[in-house]
Amino acid sequence: MQEQPMRRRARPVALREALVALALLLAGCASQPAKPGQVGEFDDPFENTNRGIFRFNLAVDHHVLMPVAKAYRAVFPEPARDSIHAFFRNLRGPIIFVNDVLQGEPHYAGDTLVRFLLNSTIGLGGLVDVAGRIGVPYHPQDFGITFGVWGIQSGPYLVVPILGPSDPRDLTGDIAEDFGDPWNQLASDNGFLYLTFVRGVVSGIDQRSRYLDTLADLERTSLDYYATLRSIYFQRRAALIRHEKTTLPHPGLTLEAPLPMAEANPRPASGVISEADNDSEVHIK
Amino acid sequence: MTRRLVLAAAIIMLAAVQLPAPRASAAGDPAAMVQSLGNQTLTVLRRDVPPAERLARFRVLFHRYFDVPGIARFVLGRYWLSASPRQREQFVNLFDEYITAAYSDRLSKYGGETLRVTGSRPGPDGALVASEIVRPSGAPSIKVDWRITNEGGKPRISDVIVDGVSLAVTQRSEFASVIQRDGGQVSGLMQLMREKTASSAGSGE
Repeated sequence: MQEQPMRRRARPVALREALVALALLLAGCASQPAKPGQVGEFDDPFENTNRGIFRFNLAVDHHVLMPVAKAYRAVFPEPARDSIHAFFRNLRGPIIFVNDVLQGEPHYAGDTLVRFLLNSTIGLGGLVDVAGRIGVPYHPQDFGITFGVWGIQSGPYLVVPILGPSDPRDLTGDIAEDFGDPWNQLASDNGFLYLTFVRGVVSGIDQRSRYLDTLADLERTSLDYYATLRSIYFQRRAALIRHEKTTLPHPGLTLEAPLPMAEANPRPASGVISEADNDSEVHIK
Repeated sequence: MTRRLVLAAAIIMLAAVQLPAPRASAAGDPAAMVQSLGNQTLTVLRRDVPPAERLARFRVLFHRYFDVPGIARFVLGRYWLSASPRQREQFVNLFDEYITAAYSDRLSKYGGETLRVTGSRPGPDGALVASEIVRPSGAPSIKVDWRITNEGGKPRISDVIVDGVSLAVTQRSEFASVIQRDGGQVSGLMQLMREKTASSAGSGE
């Protein structure tokens, strides 16, 4: 009933912080510098630990997340699921706005402001994406993207228990979002801390339910699902940081030349990504 | 007056001869090619098509529009350079089988979408075609870019980039991982590809 000012910020981030600490600890234990010549295309010095956590996550996914997401999809008709999805998106409006501003993107910030105001009111608290229908589109945004726009490198690949693919930059961004989210604070200030957990769980189910088929197909047809997801994760994050205005340059279609993943390069992953601003960049928009 | 007419005629004739050469001929227009492939893929690969038939149709499209040997070289990365001629030949064939099986499977869940080409521009060694897949549910469209190279004067697709994720780069990354975990041997990857292709052909799901 009464608010507890001392604890108000501590609880919502506790779970994720614990997971992060665990991940870093595990990563530290297994930390072995990759031998030259063993270097893959992406920065993954903790691959053995990551693969262990990945196996654990897959087991949880198969036995808990997927059945729950399937049940969710079976119980709620598509319009209801779309409304729930739109509602959670709208809740992130303030966070998205802050990131738009931090990145110096007034056009995006304007979109976000209009979206939040319209959808929160006419859109019945975010349940209907009114703004999207009149041509003010949603754009993905988070603190990890902002850090990337500022030029901060991703760091090594990390598989976080339950939460999945990440890296130090994006994980830091996730924690920043937990601290900065106004709704979580509002809820914990007023004694409704459990609401932040409900939000986390339901939006997790929402996210998982939207990728049921895609991920199942990918898992079934992949030779190395871990490596496939790692590649997709890094490429997708790089695209989000470029705001999808450009297309990744093709790293060497003529194979007479050595590939960017040459053995001598200790950080080939960032090489692939940072090449986005060299001459071969192609502006699509 | 007559000389100027002759000159003008000569210039026009020269232009007529020379202009089409630097541009792609209308039949080889990359944007038109992508639109055509999109139309065929999204109608041919419908849910009601039996898996075996879908696989056969997809293979035809894959061979007609894609630079299969070039993509195979790319995805093997540096291991292409160290592979023997026989291994390379085997790999290209296996890759062809694996990709047609994997993608006719991955694409089987889709239905009702349409592909719309939104732009096209010359790229480093060919062209880049931008498109989007519009979904019937009104869900946000998916941005798909097509990298086109010229193979013997004909445009061929060398990469497909979905929402910023290059399928060729993803495939290369996966193959490199398999090879590295197998001690740098290509043979292990090829065995795995054989098994995967056989199992997906058998399951039909």
